Amino acid sequence: MTNQNISLVKVRNTLLVTMPADPDDVTVTTLQEEVLGAMEKYRPKGLVLDISSVETLDSFFARTITETSRMVTMMGGQTVIAGMRPSVAISATQLGLTMVGTFTALTVDRALDLLAHPHPRRRIR
Amino acid sequence: MATRSKLSGTAALEDIEGVGPQAFLASIVECSDDAIYGKTLDGAILSWNRGAERIYGYSAAEMVGRPVSVLVPPNKPDEVPAILERVKRGERVSHFETTRVRKDGEVIDLSLNVSPIRDASGQIIGASTTARDITEQKKMREALAERAKEILDVSTPVLQVWEGVVVAPFIGTLDTQRAQQFMERLLDKIVQTNSAVALLDVTGVPAIDTRTAQHLIETITSVRLLGAQAILTGVRPAIAQTLAHLGINLADVATRSSLAAGLRVALDILNLKISTQEDQAKGAHSL
Repeated sequence: MTNQNISLVKVRNTLLVTMPADPDDVTVTTLQEEVLGAMEKYRPKGLVLDISSVETLDSFFARTITETSRMVTMMGGQTVIAGMRPSVAISATQLGLTMVGTFTALTVDRALDLLAHPHPRRRIR
Repeated sequence: MATRSKLSGTAALEDIEGVGPQAFLASIVECSDDAIYGKTLDGAILSWNRGAERIYGYSAAEMVGRPVSVLVPPNKPDEVPAILERVKRGERVSHFETTRVRKDGEVIDLSLNVSPIRDASGQIIGASTTARDITEQKKMREALAERAKEILDVSTPVLQVWEGVVVAPFIGTLDTQRAQQFMERLLDKIVQTNSAVALLDVTGVPAIDTRTAQHLIETITSVRLLGAQAILTGVRPAIAQTLAHLGINLADVATRSSLAAGLRVALDILNLKISTQEDQAKGAHSL
């Protein structure tokens, strides 16, 4: 039985969400609901989505993340996707799931840095 | 007199004194380096040439009358029946690469050609096999593949040029296999070195076609997904022209004409500056 728990923690002005290893569709949908709920409750400046445990990324997951990121932006926040594994990055690229418009960071640490000091050149250019 | 089409090339042989056409052809078969043997449709050996003796290690006396299956390794029980089935239908089996076992137990690689033998009325009465020993050839092929793999390993290095910056120089052309390996190496190195910037240098790429351009774009995208920034460097006029002609839009990718220029951008991203020791002495603040 895989642990399908999403961990959601508020760290200073940021929401840190950690995804489990193989999120099923229900878990992915729950992610979006929980994030929006937390956004409303805490009004954080940013959301860090830690996917360093995720081994496979399907189109539903990718779409939901992109959607959630957009929703967070509309609510005045900024999303950073952290810790994507190389194998996941390669498959995502080859499947065309490029999640355009989202910020990414190598680690949660970097993601928090990015949110604290948004560098104009860090934009995807 | 001669059986139909089989001896059609023998008109000239009738002129050779003292040798009938069939004896002439028989001696060609005997002297061949390849194994040539005939068998019944049940697989019993009818004839066995000198090449067969040499390749398989069995003499003609030992093989004639015995089933050809004694040569087949135990892991391929259905191969001979399948071949004979095709021959019975009038088919030829050509360049069939497989393995057989010699008398001394050694397993050898062979390329087989099996054809139907027909009698005067055209009925298929047996099968004729020519087997060529390709053990050496196979070894060379494998060595070549090894060499190619080594070249692949050597020519796709990813180097950390500064803390937080990796450089991946593309050398030569990028086929799909190299591109895949290149991407994996690059991404692993980025994670391993915790780098923020990856410089993809194409100075060493002589020609860029659609496929290579596609691989490049994919690499840049996956670097971005990982959380680092990719900068394409060494873009020379010829490459820029080809990319433009291919309609590839690099608007959302940072590009520079030289690796040095790319490095400057990288340092800027990392909020680093290079100053001379004099500047340092004068008390200018850097890093």
